Amino acid sequence: MHANAVYGRALARAFGGALLFSFPLLMTMEMWSLGMAVERARLLVFLLLSLPMLLGLSYYAGFEPTFRLKDEVLDALAAFGVGFLLSAALLATFGVLGRHGLFSQADLGKVALCAVPGAIGALVAGKQLGEGSPSSREKSEAGTLGETFLMAVGALFLAFNVAPTEEMILIAYQMGPLQALLLMALSVLLLHAFVYRLGFPGESRRREAGGFLRTFVGFTAPGYGVALIVSLYLLWTFGRTDGVAPHEIATMTIVLAFPAALGAATARLVV
Amino acid sequence: MATTARSRPATKSAPAKRKPPAKAKPPSDDIPPLEWISAAIGLVCALVAIGFVGWDALLGERSPPAIEVRLTAVTPTPHGFVAEVDAINHGGSPAAQVVIEGVLSGQGEAETAQATLDYIPERSRAEGGLVFEHDPRAGRLVLRAKGFADAS
Repeated sequence: MHANAVYGRALARAFGGALLFSFPLLMTMEMWSLGMAVERARLLVFLLLSLPMLLGLSYYAGFEPTFRLKDEVLDALAAFGVGFLLSAALLATFGVLGRHGLFSQADLGKVALCAVPGAIGALVAGKQLGEGSPSSREKSEAGTLGETFLMAVGALFLAFNVAPTEEMILIAYQMGPLQALLLMALSVLLLHAFVYRLGFPGESRRREAGGFLRTFVGFTAPGYGVALIVSLYLLWTFGRTDGVAPHEIATMTIVLAFPAALGAATARLVV
Repeated sequence: MATTARSRPATKSAPAKRKPPAKAKPPSDDIPPLEWISAAIGLVCALVAIGFVGWDALLGERSPPAIEVRLTAVTPTPHGFVAEVDAINHGGSPAAQVVIEGVLSGQGEAETAQATLDYIPERSRAEGGLVFEHDPRAGRLVLRAKGFADAS
């Protein structure tokens, strides 16, 4: 029973984390309409990708201090459940669900889309809201692959918060090519500064030894690459790229890559 | 790991009853029942979401929106007759910004009212209202959807 009580507390924390991380999205109108309108095949791909991502995240920041595969799978599934149930409960409370008949495809899409950020929040909460950080030892040992994975999750998470909004497209329309390049430079610069210069907790010091060029090529450049890929993927998932001219897609990707780069840079802080 | 560390002082003061069952299994393998339950619930949620979305993505038909507009109730108000309508999309794709129109004839000059519904998913229903000066029940009311925008 003692173990149950401990797990129960961890679960309650997970709900708290999911709530904190996903309520901005749950209260965003675009998320509701996207939940209905997103092409089902893309939503399916998104959901199928989210499960291995949660598994990986559980490995680095699970809400239980364990490192075994069975636990990671259980944690990842529980986190998805937390995100899903929380989204369903809150969206129902907000009166978003049930407008087109009970249990429709549209409602399921809304809940499923919001469940993923909620699940990320549930897993991250283990570290953010929990006492101590059981996974810090592991994270300092995370290899290049793990590092890249964490950056991708950080990028996804921050980009997801703004990707559904109309503003992303509007900003892309308003910007000229010069401004796009400027924003790109700013993103890379901030990514580098956040990781190596500002002294946030959790930033990596050991790679600094290689000098500016090495850290830039070894971390900042791949970090921005990850941010660009994540941004493009999100835009595609939300159907923002359909029928749009290539240069406009590029500008939109650069715009979204700005928050994504910040997310990648602070991944160690947030995730 | 932390669990065993924390329970150690408890086993010292409490009767040593708790220790044997914990020791009986290897300590690394005792996953609390609650964890299994919540993971099972999570699995069901994931299967429901992926199952329904996948079923729709792979097998759902993709016919264009076909919108039927149906009168549900007429309420006389001081500001005109409110005709509540249901717009039902029988097609296999969602429609956005659906313009519905009602033409009331039979009482002198024909009267037109229209409304725009934000979104009607496939095989779903949305509600709206049309306001007329004359009683729609007395004349001939023709309801139809005039057009829509592609969703997303």
